[in-house]
Amino acid sequence: MDPPTAPTNFWTQLLLRPIQRFSRNGSTNASESRIRRRRAVVSFITRRLWLLQLTLFCTGYLWLLIIPSPRLGRRTYIDENALQPGQVNTYWNWGDVHAADKNLAQLEALRDSNATSKQRAEFIRDQFHKLGVSASTQNYAFSTGNTITNGTNVYGIIASPRAPGTEAMVISASWLSRTGDGDGTLNLRGVSTVLALAGFLKGYSLWAKDIVLVVSDGHLDGMHAWLAAYHGSTQSNLQADHLDLPSGVIWTALNIDYPGHSFSHLGIFFEGNNGRLPNQDLLNSFQRISLYTGGVPVLVYDHLDSREHPDLSGLPPWIPTAVRKHPEVQSYVYQAKNVVRHFSYQARGRPSGVHGLFHQFRIDAITLFAVPATGPHGFHAIGRVIESTLRTTNNLLERLHASFFFYILTGADRFLKIGSYLPSAILISIAMMFNGLRIWSDLAWSEDQPEIPEKQKQTQFTNKKTWTRRTRPVIKVLAIMIATHVYGAFLFAAVTSLWFSDNPKVASPLVFTIFAFIPLIILCALPSEKTSRGSLSATLKALNLCLASTVISITALLNFSLATLLTILMGVPLSISATSKKFAVRFCMYNVYIVLGIGWLFLQDETLKAVWHWEILSIWFAPFVCLVYTPLVLQAGLVCLLPQ
Amino acid sequence: MSSSRIRSPSKFTLEFGLAFPLFAAARLVLSLTNLPHVLKYDHQLSSPLTSYLNLQEGIYLFKNGVDPYSGGTFRHSPLFLSLFTTILPATGVGSSILWTLGDASGAWALVQIWRARQRISSSQRDSLIAALYLFNPYLFLPNLAHSTSSFDNALMLFSLMFASQGRASASLLVLSFLVQISPSSILILAPVLLLLITSPVSRLASPQPLTSSGVQFRKSGLLLVEFIAYFTVFTLISALVVGNWIWIPQTWGATTNLPDLTPNTGLWWYFFTEMFDHFRPMFLMVFSIHLFMYIAPICIKFQYDPLFAAFLLIGILGTFKSYPSLSEPGLFLSMITIFPELYPYFRHPIITALLHFHASLLMPLFNSLWLNQGTGNANFYYASTLVFACSNGAALIDCIWAGLRIAIGEEETGYTVVQE
Amino acid sequence: MLASWKARLFVGLSLSLSVVKASGEQFDEQLTIQSLRDGKVASTFSFKTLLKGVSPRDPRTLGAEDASQHYNVFPLALGQILREYAVTELHLSLNAGRWNYDRWGYPKEPAVGTGAELWAWMGDGGQVSVDHRWMGLRNALAGLFCASLGSLDEQRTTSPDRSFEPEGMLPDWGVPHRIRHATLPSENVCTENLTPFLKLLPCKSLSGIASLLNPHRLFDADWHGMGIHVLWREDEGVEVRLTFQSVSDPVRSSLGRKRDWSFRSLFDRTIDRQCPIAKTSEITVALPSEGSYSINPEPSVVNAGKASFDVATIDKPLDVALQWSGDFQYVSGFDKPITPFSVQRTLRGSSQAHGQLSVIVKNHQNSTQQVVYLETMPWLVQFYLHTLEIRVDGVRRDGIFSDIAYIPAVPHSRPATFQGILTLPPSSALHLTMDVTKSFLRYTEHRPDAQRGWDLPPAVLTVLELDSNTSTARHPVNPRIYTSTLLVDMATPDFSMPYNVIIFTCSLIAFIFGSVFNLLTRKFVVVRID
Repeated sequence: MDPPTAPTNFWTQLLLRPIQRFSRNGSTNASESRIRRRRAVVSFITRRLWLLQLTLFCTGYLWLLIIPSPRLGRRTYIDENALQPGQVNTYWNWGDVHAADKNLAQLEALRDSNATSKQRAEFIRDQFHKLGVSASTQNYAFSTGNTITNGTNVYGIIASPRAPGTEAMVISASWLSRTGDGDGTLNLRGVSTVLALAGFLKGYSLWAKDIVLVVSDGHLDGMHAWLAAYHGSTQSNLQADHLDLPSGVIWTALNIDYPGHSFSHLGIFFEGNNGRLPNQDLLNSFQRISLYTGGVPVLVYDHLDSREHPDLSGLPPWIPTAVRKHPEVQSYVYQAKNVVRHFSYQARGRPSGVHGLFHQFRIDAITLFAVPATGPHGFHAIGRVIESTLRTTNNLLERLHASFFFYILTGADRFLKIGSYLPSAILISIAMMFNGLRIWSDLAWSEDQPEIPEKQKQTQFTNKKTWTRRTRPVIKVLAIMIATHVYGAFLFAAVTSLWFSDNPKVASPLVFTIFAFIPLIILCALPSEKTSRGSLSATLKALNLCLASTVISITALLNFSLATLLTILMGVPLSISATSKKFAVRFCMYNVYIVLGIGWLFLQDETLKAVWHWEILSIWFAPFVCLVYTPLVLQAGLVCLLPQ
Repeated sequence: MSSSRIRSPSKFTLEFGLAFPLFAAARLVLSLTNLPHVLKYDHQLSSPLTSYLNLQEGIYLFKNGVDPYSGGTFRHSPLFLSLFTTILPATGVGSSILWTLGDASGAWALVQIWRARQRISSSQRDSLIAALYLFNPYLFLPNLAHSTSSFDNALMLFSLMFASQGRASASLLVLSFLVQISPSSILILAPVLLLLITSPVSRLASPQPLTSSGVQFRKSGLLLVEFIAYFTVFTLISALVVGNWIWIPQTWGATTNLPDLTPNTGLWWYFFTEMFDHFRPMFLMVFSIHLFMYIAPICIKFQYDPLFAAFLLIGILGTFKSYPSLSEPGLFLSMITIFPELYPYFRHPIITALLHFHASLLMPLFNSLWLNQGTGNANFYYASTLVFACSNGAALIDCIWAGLRIAIGEEETGYTVVQE
Repeated sequence: MLASWKARLFVGLSLSLSVVKASGEQFDEQLTIQSLRDGKVASTFSFKTLLKGVSPRDPRTLGAEDASQHYNVFPLALGQILREYAVTELHLSLNAGRWNYDRWGYPKEPAVGTGAELWAWMGDGGQVSVDHRWMGLRNALAGLFCASLGSLDEQRTTSPDRSFEPEGMLPDWGVPHRIRHATLPSENVCTENLTPFLKLLPCKSLSGIASLLNPHRLFDADWHGMGIHVLWREDEGVEVRLTFQSVSDPVRSSLGRKRDWSFRSLFDRTIDRQCPIAKTSEITVALPSEGSYSINPEPSVVNAGKASFDVATIDKPLDVALQWSGDFQYVSGFDKPITPFSVQRTLRGSSQAHGQLSVIVKNHQNSTQQVVYLETMPWLVQFYLHTLEIRVDGVRRDGIFSDIAYIPAVPHSRPATFQGILTLPPSSALHLTMDVTKSFLRYTEHRPDAQRGWDLPPAVLTVLELDSNTSTARHPVNPRIYTSTLLVDMATPDFSMPYNVIIFTCSLIAFIFGSVFNLLTRKFVVVRID
């Protein structure tokens, strides 16, 4: 590839062409013209590389913007033929609703007598026993830092008649509802639904799979302990009993979250740990069943559509009504809301509900969230929907595999395939890669080279390698990069330390200042011998960009939301990082990057939450940020800081 | 990024005598952590033929009077079986130390090869070479997973070391042992024989046919006979250990018949998972023979520098052998350090490095996506192994190009070198 | 019309009766009904045909012409198979569902493993090998019972002589007897198996107890299974026992209120006439120990909490019914185990590459017990014996697992057999764990429903009576406990990919090969460019 070339080169190229054509005819060596042609092409591309980069960047970011657009997505459809959603008559009737109400009354009595979780569990177990369902309890205790969370799960198993009991479906309800991320809102109606279902489902002989009913304590912790025990996975900070009652392989799970008195819509929550999504067939069949069997409209999350509910303000009022009321704009706004919510869950790898814990064990699970409202639906509707959904999953002959695992749900019945959103992030990462490679190859040309005409510079082309490796201080740069990642490891250690979690108010600014100054101190400490050969910072930038682009493109395949976050935070900033002559400028830019890199330390509770999720649910977001993201940004900061 | 790191001359001023024990100690500390127990399940770090779990299983069965070769899991050589049941420790701290020693000795042998090639007793570069062998992730991760391929590598290096020091018998003995435990290593027999009748000194820059520099090839015939003798002896020993001949199809047969389709970093497993049954034998034959097609051309082309030929064949092995893990390509990459004269002539080192980087990130991720998370299917991992094969191929081609290109030397302005 | 029909029937019956008298054949039928703690009702049909003074065929005479067979009551179709393959003892069971030992205790017929199970003792000798006869046997039975027993091939066949000892006797021909055993957990049992089963009965399902075998109701039960048992006793002769067990749930059909049952409610049939060939035809009802109930009609005999009816004498149509006063309540601890020990077997781990087999055996007695533990595992799942670990109440214990016999699996051909004696300390929980690795199959070896996974056969635990004199001497028929079957999901390749994979891999190899040889063969030239 070529350095930015003088305008004369272009003319020499023009002049050369006829000569080349001529010499090809009479040339002794056919490869000569071939080489010329190749170089012409290469230089043509390299001279316009910046243009290519720019277009790639713009396309990528634009693509990100139009992801919520209604024109991009398509309607959902059922892929697995065995499911046959909504093809059955449901038997759930008012008698069962009455049973649910009775259970609710007893549970409320328990709540008012503020019983311990053990008493609760035993009560529920006895209820199961009264119904003739084998049931048992499980005690567990998590220890994080110096706090210990413990509780008691209770679960019952309805053995399927005439089936070997090697397969199972789970219906679960956590004691705490997800509203307010388990801030204490109780999920009493969810629990009583499970109890009523236990009595109801047992009365039919058509189940081909065992039905496991789990009432988990707490919000996330209880179910995590139960699943860990069920699958025999061990965790250092978890003490959980063995499960007395075995069952088969779990394929699907429905988690019921019914906090309010009654509900208007059923909301789907589906994001799991580390951004793992359930198979789309589960969502789609539930959506269809709820709409056509239960007659309950379905939402993604709890987002009411401002088109159906004019009282909700979709867009700020200062926008002209013509725009605000435009259907396309409205649907864009609505879908954008969903997409952003989805990104906020997936990028941080957080489960959007108890269902998310199932995913790590290859169980497709969703949470049915009964959106609290004054009506019109209640136990009757939710019971029918769950029964019919169970009948559908009961039809499964194989593990759900037909439909998509990678998708963006823009609406309850609209989604984006991976092919229609992935390119955005990939394009940006490609742009960064080109940028890096270009800088890398430009580094071959050191300043002290005399300006030579295009042709001869062309001939330097293969030649340049011979002194490239003499000019690029690769070892030093790699040492710096490794050092930054070690720095990240220390940062992670600091953040996960007991001391940090105890007094974050003091700790976070302290950690920030320390880790902001460490690189400076080290740089001052180091013997700054003038690197005569090639710019250290340029090489660092080249490799940094290559590394970042690789990370982005690979993350995009696993967790698109995270990749999107990275493209926003790193795409442009890393590309524009540059050193300058004046130290003041360099220092300021460095500070900007530091804020970008470890500024999150000031969002204390967010940080603590991430750490908690790492320690209890082993969600990779916190280590990823510390070990990958921060070092990459810091490298960009060093690019600015390093002398020219 | 190892190969891009390699491309710059050594900045190490550490004294080898000091640095080497330091590195080895660091490695030992690593292997004494909990890592081995976590990594030993990983398919990319150890193939069914080199897996630590299978080795332990075989030892257990052998100790409890069950013929380990009567089943399908144990495919290690009887020599390993006898060694680990008698003198060598197979569990606990002992094994960690043993495996670390394996890599350390390998690194030492590599340094010896370098010295022999340069005809020097010590150099600035030694520490760098040792470091790049001991801390090459492709090499130390399989070692942490206690894959026996670490020993294969060490033996490979030792046989090359003895060969370049001109100690024929030792070299052939080690080589025959190596071929016993990993038959496909037979590839480097030819270059080793050549190396024994010539010298390891780099003649890449000044190629000339061996015939001109009066080398008597008759000697190599005798050496071959010697090798065969050693090999038969080892075979008989194995037969004595087991007491029957079932072990031959179980161990050597596996490398050609591919009975175990556990995914690894190579190209064979998915190919033969998806292969139609009636074509299976044909393609097995093609793939096995394909490996051997490289010996003659490379040995003829680089007859003036057999060590380099051996190096290239190791690269071929790492790319195309039947049950590879990360450690075979790792050996190839780490051996690049002893050919510094090539660096100026590499074709696209940065591309190769980036390919390797992508592959080494993609493979573990896609493997867990397929097998643990269940969201991706087998094609994901297959694709990543294809990328890995590309990166190995690219590295190979870089080295061959450089090895040939170096003979023409620096270009003046206005001239360029091409192939026609 | 009807009269004439009756007349003909009478003639036929009297004829056959006289025949029975003449030949040494005897047919007895019995039905046992028992109410279980959780309100379910277990009914066991047993039809026993005895061929007096006959001994099984000696395999060494297989080449020669066999003595001609004349049966009147004894099922000819079965008899021919037995003679053809010189089978001494044969046990075939086809079950649907998981027998819940904890709730229901030991079954009347021990063979309750999920799916199909076939095991046979055959004399070894003569020119036809045991395995060859075994193959013929399973194919013949597959044809006879419309079950896919043909797939009980060598990939599933083992010979666990310790856990499956002959229930009868083995004739002493001076040649050893060999056992062959195979299970097919994924086999479904339904009407198409019952019809041929009924055909083997002398009275079919026309009369006698067999007339209660109504497929519509039997296959709605919570658990049902049929069995064919052939064995030989020196003093009696060859005995064929056909059994049918079912566990039905009156509580479910009465919407969770009553546990009352009657022939009508259980089988939707009554016994209208007796089977004239049957020597004895008895119905036994286990009377409940607690609660006030009424049983009618009045039983012929009542002793030891058992009411028995003699179908021959009692007036027909016979519809035995048991009624409780008051609604049914689940007693507390209705699912507390009542067997001396209970077993829990699971395959842990959600990875498709490896997992962990975990077996928990709880000894409910306060005395030490010894059980023979048998795993027969297809090669799909391979054991890592060196990871075998046994904990008793959480503490690691050695020496609890003795007499280990292990035959490792061979990929694509042979299953693993893993057998040993577990010593259960009094009233404690023994936890056995072992790592396993899951094989990766060729894409042609996967089932059509590949994503479902593979069913693994149940493990079998057999109690060893600890006799004072020798620990090996045992009761001929020990209670066997079958653990639940397992479902293991194998990693699947993409089944639509073969061509793509071949193309991609080959072109990549060709590319590298090509460029290497390019470099090696083409010569370098220096070109002047300017």
